[in-house]
This record gives sequence, C-alpha cells and structure tokens, in this order.
Amino acid sequence: MISLKSSTKTLICIGSGGVGKTTMAASIGVGLACAGKKILVLTIDPSLRLAQALGIKTDGELHRVPLNLGANTNSGGELWSCIINHKKTFEWFIRSASQNSDIEVLLQNRLYQQLSGRLSGSQEFTALISLYRFVSAKEYDLVILDTPPSQHTWNFLRAPEKISALFNEGVASWFREPPKNKKGVFRKILNLGTAQVLKTLETLTGSFFMKELSAFFGAVQKWQAPLADYVMNCHRLLVSAETEFILVTALDSSRIIEAQKLSREIQKQGYYLTSVIINRIPTWTDIKTINPPSQEKKIKSPRVRELLKYHESLENDLQSRLNQFKSSLKVYKCFELSQNTENADDNISNLQKNYNSILAVD
Amino acid sequence: MVKKAHLITGKGGTGKSLFSVVLAHYFSTQMQSILLCELSDPSFFKDYLNLPEITYKPLSWKPNLDISQWSPENCLKEYALHLLKIESLYKLFFENSVSKSLIQIAPGLLDLALLGKMTSSPRKQGPAMPYNQIVVDSFSTGHFLSLLRAPAALAEAIPFGPMGEQSKNIDQYLRSPDFTEVHILTLAEELPLTECRELYQQLLTEFNIKAKVYLNKLTAISLEDLVDLPEVAQNSLKRVLNAEATARLQLQKAQIDFVELPLVASIETETLVTVLSNHLKVVL
Repeated sequence: MISLKSSTKTLICIGSGGVGKTTMAASIGVGLACAGKKILVLTIDPSLRLAQALGIKTDGELHRVPLNLGANTNSGGELWSCIINHKKTFEWFIRSASQNSDIEVLLQNRLYQQLSGRLSGSQEFTALISLYRFVSAKEYDLVILDTPPSQHTWNFLRAPEKISALFNEGVASWFREPPKNKKGVFRKILNLGTAQVLKTLETLTGSFFMKELSAFFGAVQKWQAPLADYVMNCHRLLVSAETEFILVTALDSSRIIEAQKLSREIQKQGYYLTSVIINRIPTWTDIKTINPPSQEKKIKSPRVRELLKYHESLENDLQSRLNQFKSSLKVYKCFELSQNTENADDNISNLQKNYNSILAVD
Repeated sequence: MVKKAHLITGKGGTGKSLFSVVLAHYFSTQMQSILLCELSDPSFFKDYLNLPEITYKPLSWKPNLDISQWSPENCLKEYALHLLKIESLYKLFFENSVSKSLIQIAPGLLDLALLGKMTSSPRKQGPAMPYNQIVVDSFSTGHFLSLLRAPAALAEAIPFGPMGEQSKNIDQYLRSPDFTEVHILTLAEELPLTECRELYQQLLTEFNIKAKVYLNKLTAISLEDLVDLPEVAQNSLKRVLNAEATARLQLQKAQIDFVELPLVASIETETLVTVLSNHLKVVL
C-alpha cells in the first residue's frame, strides 16, 4: 500500500513507457475505492485487459466501475473511470472557453484539425485539461491521472507553457488583420523586424501555409483571454500542494538512473513528487525468500542459474542506488502482476491485490 | 550518401534504444559507415554508453560508427540556413522569442523537420552526410505513426508552396522500401504485442512498408529447465513461457515474420551490445 497525504486531491502517475503506469494508476484507484473513497481514474490508452477489467469503453465518457469484492469492500467507496478522447476533449475545451460562440471557422481550419487530431504533442494537453475539468468539479475525493506515453515526462509538464504560446498575444498580433482588408495578409504588421520574420517564415513554408496560420490565429484571437486563463489554471493545478506526483519506474539500471535524475529535477521545479515505485519486479527470481540460498546450487539448468544471477545483480544494483534518491522521497517496490485470469471480476481483485502488495523499501 | 534509414520503434520498454545501438554496431562491423541518431532530449545514450556530451554534431564512438542527437529544432535550423543562405536573416528569425514559440506550436513543423533531416541526403537538401546508413532510435509506436503521417497530412493541408513540396518529397522517401526500413520491437506481453501487430498492419496498408519485427527479451528456457525450482517459481515461469508461446503463435497467425532476441543476462551495456550484435550476425 502507498501512503498519500490526506489533503491530496490529485494524483499524477509519471514515468517512461512500458513501466506499468496505467496498471498502477488503476490499482491505486481500485485500492482506495475499496477503502471507501470516491475515485476517478483518467487513463490514456489502457490495454484491452485493463479496459475490460474496468469495464470501460474508449468513448471518452465517464463510467462507474462495479466493485464486487464481497465483505472486505467498504460500501461507501466508488470507482469511476474515463479514457480520454483527444479530439472530443480539444473541442470541449475550445467550446467552453469560447462560451459556445461561433467556433465553426476554427473547427474547420486545417491547422486546427491537425493540431487537435493526427499530430503529436496534443495528447499531453488534452490529458491536462481533462484533469483540470474533473478536479475542479470537486466530485471526487481523488482524481488519478495516468500520463500519456511520451519520450519524456517534461512533454507533459510543459504542455501548459507550450499551449500558452499558442494564445500568446505576441504571436496572434502578428497575424491580426481587419477583416475588410483584402490587400495583404500581413498589413497590420507592427514593425520591420516582424515583417522580416514573417517573410522568412513565408520563404520557408510558403504563402498557403501562412494564410492558414493567419486564419487560425484570426479565429483564436477572440477567446485568447479565457483560453489563456484556463491554461494558467491547468498549470496552477500541477504545482498545487493538493497535487501529488508518483514516479513509476522499473528494475533496470538505466531506468533507475533516469528516474533519479527526473525526480531531482521535478522536485526542483516545485512539483510535489512524493513517491517512487519500482514496478514489475519478477516474482520467480525472489528465490531467497522461498528457499535458502544453498538451494540455488541444486539448480541444474545453466540458463536458469544465469537468469537468477542476473536478477540478483539487478537487485544489488538497485540497492546501491537507493541512497541516491532524495530522503524526502518514499521508495516502494511492486511485484509483477500475474495475468492469468480471464474473468473481469478477478481482474478487479487482482488490481486490489496489486495495490495491497506495494511495499515500502527502507 | 545515405542509402538507407533504419527507424526503430515499438512500445515503451521493449528495448528500442539498446536495439538501435546493437543494429548500428552490427552494421558498422559489416564495413558500413553508420550514424546512430537519438531523438530523446536530454540524451539517453550519454549515460547509457558512458559518453561525453552527445550533440547534433556527430561524435565518433567506434570505428565506422558515429552518434548524434537530433532535436527537431536543430534540424529545422540547419534546413533554414541551407535554404535562406543568409546568416543574419536566419538569426533574425530563429533568435526571435515569438518565432521560437511559433515553431513549437505550428502543427507538424517539427515532425517535418526531423523527417526532412532523415531523408535529406538522398533528396540532396542540406549539408552532405558522409554515411552509408543511418539508424534512428525513434519514438514509441503511437508517436511514431503520427510522425510518419506528418508529411502526407501537411502536404494535404498545405498543398502549395515550399512546405507542401518538401512534405510530398519527404513522404515519397518514407514510402520507398529502398530507403526506409522500419524495425518494430516487441515483448511477449499483451500490450506491446497488440501495438506491434497494429503498427505492422498500419504501416503495410498506409505506407506499403513491410516492417521487420523482433520478439525481444525471450527467456530462452524450456519446461525441463524448471524442474529444480520451487513450485511458486515454476508456476510463475510457466506463465512467462506460455506468454512467449502465445506471442509466437499470434505473430505467425498475423503472418508477420519475426526475429527472436534473447534476454541477455547482463547489466553491462558493453556486454549487451557485443552479445546481441553477434547474435544478429547469426540470425540476420
């Protein structure tokens, strides 16, 4: 089990791809809901098994997850879940910020369509606005976010900054033109420097791109202030004292080193990173707890001996690096979740077991 | 001139970075001059390979093998300088804070810059690249697909002008099996396998790319190896062996040819690279 601050309203799971962030977010959700809390888990791209376990569809809607765990379940708890739909979320964001005034021009803009849909980088932002939307609704004891798979966690944390640039007064003002002006796209240019910059951009990209870009900023400028406010609120949520980050990583030297660097940096930037979970530790290799080490010699298979030795060196490597984590961080271990159950109800209890098995390392 | 670009992808945690190093190392031992590129920023290879700073400018690592880090911003700058030819004009644009943020948000621009650099040598755009092949430790599956889609998407959105032309040109090279080769890494686990199968199909139907697939980190043990282990360990390993058998079956069923790679039982990068590079000599 993992200990969170009682004041925590938002929990954000970060970590590089393949370490089991999504399952961890779901496990914590199930665990806390079973302890009587009202929890929402926001995920990005769960495995089929996990989606089935939570009984949710990829429709971007909220779903209540049934917790049929018998007598041990605190009846007051509720588990809700939602898989973020990026296109829908982006549109919701634009609509709510513009208070449903005419946004069709923007929705039809080719660059907007690229921005909200196929192109990379917008997932981080939609995850963040979904988070803000549900946290500010104050309907849950805790909202857990599983961050999108990305090259780096910074992509997620920098999403507000990046998107603010989009609604930056400076950029938009370049492209601002009175609607009646048919002569030149960039007539109302402020100074010669800007003119040069735009001309350079046009040389690089072409006039067609510039027209689309200009139309895009033209469509956006009306709601610049409310959009910028919203983005600022998203950023405030990330650095709020009621938001806790947990870093999920794996039993692997390079990942641990990465996690250490990231944890130092992220704390320095003022986010409340409180815990690190070393996840998916194989269970079969923990032979010492099953048998005395002398048993090891009896194993005839050279490959099995080799693998056991390998895991031992991973474990030793981890031990030697543990003291490099800042003392303010709680480090936990979590073992590989066995995936042999087909039944969805069993999967929920599996997630609960997984939560209960999170072990503090001291 | 660069004759071939190898792009390495797969779900997070499947071993993309190590495999990129291994593939680059393997090619370099075949008398090919290789550039290994990483897209991650900050550099992953710096610590992983215990090297000094890795930058845009290639660093010589081993005979026939250089390493560099490609940030889209650097790629764009290089291209802009090549096109504009006037240093002061380039500076005016790239050192302006507003245009800096504009570059960050202009949809697809950075993806295009990255792929532009990757295909620059055969397209004869930008400075010469004195390598036979390049190996790119690329993004994980979802992000990878949107990267590959960027040129076609932009060519559709911006059909005219230099950007549209460049996009079409880049897209052609991406779709050319003579130039682009995609390598997908997977593990014998549900999520990486599903992503691998979906990406393989998508690449085939959308880009006519037949990717090479690698089933990575296999335990390389059989049921007989388990007999001396305690029952709990046996059961848990049996599940792993089952998952491996299922993975093979699923890939065969999807008619995907794949190469098996064993889990190398070492925590030393140098050992991992040598062992797997030798393994590739046998299986490729």
